[in-house]
Amino acid sequence: MSRRLWVVAGVLVGTIAFSASAAGAVGETVGSCIFEELEEAQFDGIEGEGLSAVKNLKDRYKAGDEHAEEIKTDFEADLEDCIEAPNPILPEVTEIIWGGAAFVVLLALMRWKLFPVVKNLMEQRTQRIQDSIDDADRTRAEAMEVKASYEAELLDAKTEAARIVDEARQQAGVVRADLQARAEADIAEMRERAAADVEASKRQAIADLQTEVSDIALGAAEAVLAHNLENPEVQRQLIDDYINSVGAGQLGQQG
Amino acid sequence: MMNVLALEFPPVTHLFEWPDFLFTDTPVALNKTGAIYVLALLLTAGLFWAAGRRRALVPVGAQTVAETGIEFVESNIIMQTIGPDGRRYLPLLTTMFFFIFFSNIFGVIPLVQFPANSRMAIPLALALVVWVIYHYVGIRTQGFFGYFKGSLFPPGVPWPLYILVAPIELLQILLIRPLSLAIRLWANMVAGHLLLVSFAVLSAALWGAGFIPAALPFFALILITAFEIFVSALQAFIFTILTAVYIGGSLHPQH
Repeated sequence: MSRRLWVVAGVLVGTIAFSASAAGAVGETVGSCIFEELEEAQFDGIEGEGLSAVKNLKDRYKAGDEHAEEIKTDFEADLEDCIEAPNPILPEVTEIIWGGAAFVVLLALMRWKLFPVVKNLMEQRTQRIQDSIDDADRTRAEAMEVKASYEAELLDAKTEAARIVDEARQQAGVVRADLQARAEADIAEMRERAAADVEASKRQAIADLQTEVSDIALGAAEAVLAHNLENPEVQRQLIDDYINSVGAGQLGQQG
Repeated sequence: MMNVLALEFPPVTHLFEWPDFLFTDTPVALNKTGAIYVLALLLTAGLFWAAGRRRALVPVGAQTVAETGIEFVESNIIMQTIGPDGRRYLPLLTTMFFFIFFSNIFGVIPLVQFPANSRMAIPLALALVVWVIYHYVGIRTQGFFGYFKGSLFPPGVPWPLYILVAPIELLQILLIRPLSLAIRLWANMVAGHLLLVSFAVLSAALWGAGFIPAALPFFALILITAFEIFVSALQAFIFTILTAVYIGGSLHPQH
């Protein structure tokens, strides 16, 4: 036990002893008080001690002694004091001793062993809970870091994906435009070629038709007009002009 | 046994005064009041012993009571009145709280039914212990003259008023504080015990007249019993918190 504890214990015991000594004598019963008064009775001018003194006082009083009457009045007052209730506010010495000793012993036990054990238990639990909270905080912080890292990576991936998609979209646009242009060019070329073919076929057809028609017409004309036209060149010119005019009329109707 | 157990109504002189039943006619004669103080010692020590023995992470039973008591004294008394540096008085104040509470609560415990603090012994002895402690703390913290100067001449008071204030303050720290501390606890327990006895006697007396007349005082007796349990804890709390206030005033005179 440390020196300070001894000082505290000394102060406590001293204080309680002081209050006990100041308490005074209280707590005796009415009967014991009266008995004590009778036992210790001694009166001025009256012989005897105790109960014999009381008996002598009674005899003197009955004999008409005025001095004895005064003594009797005083003695009665002393006896009546015994009947008065004890002052309830004054403590009893033995109660202070028992109560004080109980408190001092309890305080010593509490300071020495009982209180520190329970308090340590509470502090250990508090520390354990605090450690758990710290651990949880630390784990949460780590998880948040990992989460932030994953989110950053995810964001990068999303950005990269968007970039790739944009790039692909641009490339697709270029390819599409290229293909479209090429297709349009092909179509135009094919259309020109087809138009040229059609024109050539048309011309060839017209030429073939002209030749054939002129041959037919010539044949027919020869057959019909063999005898009317002597100059064959003139006849041919006439027939060609005729066929041209017929051909132009047919083409105009077809176109 | 009639000197200890509350099996029959005692004579009026024995409502608070109990004859010795052990070590009679010695300076350590034990009566019911002293026995209750010893029981309060055993109960408090037993409670903390049981609390320290279990060491459960989640407290139950005695451990809950002891730990709740310590936390209550620490949070609601010390931290509210002294502050963090008042924790060194935690064992003293916890011991004081439980010892006073157990001494009081025997007023409603069947077969005992007597609050030991309705006798002036422990209220006075503890008040004197508190008196010594707060003067010791004040003198140690502020020095002898500093402590008395700070107590008798509180700052912020116009100097002519010191003629009035200084003697009042001197009376207060030397006499009024310890006496009010002791008398408050003692008088409350006396009043509670008288109320309980009065209504118990009334119920018993009216029981002869029938169930109905006795029912009302008996019902009041039940209510007063419940109220006395509350008062037992309240008075222990008031005594302890005032002790803390006085110690805090000596530690921190500026407050």
